[in-house]
Amino acid sequence: MQPEIERELIRKCRGGDARFYEPIVRAYEPQGLRVAMGMMGNADDARDALQDAFVKAFQSLGRFDTDRAFGPWFFQILRNQCRDLLRSRKARFRVEVVDDGIMEFRSDDDDGSFDRHFRRNDARRLLWQALERLPEDQREILVLKELEGFRYQEIASILDIPEGTVASRLFNARKGLKQVLDQMGVTYP
Amino acid sequence: MNDTTLPPSPGEAPEPDLAPGLTPDLLMRFLDGELPPEERARVERLLAGATEVQRDLLVYRQIHEDLSEIRLRTGGGRRSVWDRVHQRLTRPLGWILLGTGATAWLIYLAWLYLSSATPSWEKLMSSAVVIGILLLFASVIHERYREWLTDPYRDVER
Repeated sequence: MQPEIERELIRKCRGGDARFYEPIVRAYEPQGLRVAMGMMGNADDARDALQDAFVKAFQSLGRFDTDRAFGPWFFQILRNQCRDLLRSRKARFRVEVVDDGIMEFRSDDDDGSFDRHFRRNDARRLLWQALERLPEDQREILVLKELEGFRYQEIASILDIPEGTVASRLFNARKGLKQVLDQMGVTYP
Repeated sequence: MNDTTLPPSPGEAPEPDLAPGLTPDLLMRFLDGELPPEERARVERLLAGATEVQRDLLVYRQIHEDLSEIRLRTGGGRRSVWDRVHQRLTRPLGWILLGTGATAWLIYLAWLYLSSATPSWEKLMSSAVVIGILLLFASVIHERYREWLTDPYRDVER
């Protein structure tokens, strides 16, 4: 969405008219859902977090600085929402579930070899499981960088940390992920 | 220029596993394409003699490739997030109006009832019926709430 259009829609939303919020929600829904799924581990919780984040963002639009981009501000709210939801649910259940049904596998892989295709998909499944075993702050930074491809500046803005911290946190997260994979007996590459 | 003597960024401690002159910050920016060309060339020179770090980089690159290729099932066939968000944004106003209107009507009806010329015993009997219904209703709600608090399956979706 073009920044001018986005700004105009936000100005109208601030007047309390929720109709103008629809294009914004639809524009950020796919990416928001993927980020939330990466953080929550399953589609249902991700949808809950995303809905809550959109509602909170709408209610806080009065405090939003329209000279800034809506995206990083919204993803910051979404990230906080995911954290809150994870805390409340973990506190209640104290179980960790790896959802194998979350991934969709590609059929247009590499050289088209059937064996290679399955090997790669297997590796991705294990990688996803390894991601779930990481601490929250390491997982979220990997989701933002590796799954969504945000730049350091954007990640810094979303997580509200300096760019240098983004780099060091990414280093620890990648190192952590490699260790988890080693513990799982997965050899990379 | 001797690259290996370059100090790490301010405030950043060198990682023991890394080659001299390399810092986690530099390495990650290098890996993610966040370095300017001259810095990139410098890191490439530093990496030339660091086989262990090169191996780690290869692992990180493969992990990056696999993670970026993961497509998540987002349940596309389900109801749009917007529908639910829209409901949550617009319904509270409806509930506020309904609640305010209903309360105003109840107060008005109660005042009409109390100020009417109906005999006291009739008022007493009908009041008993209304209060009895309200008490039963409140008791059912209270019971359901207590059951809900201890229900182990309350978070399980059908």
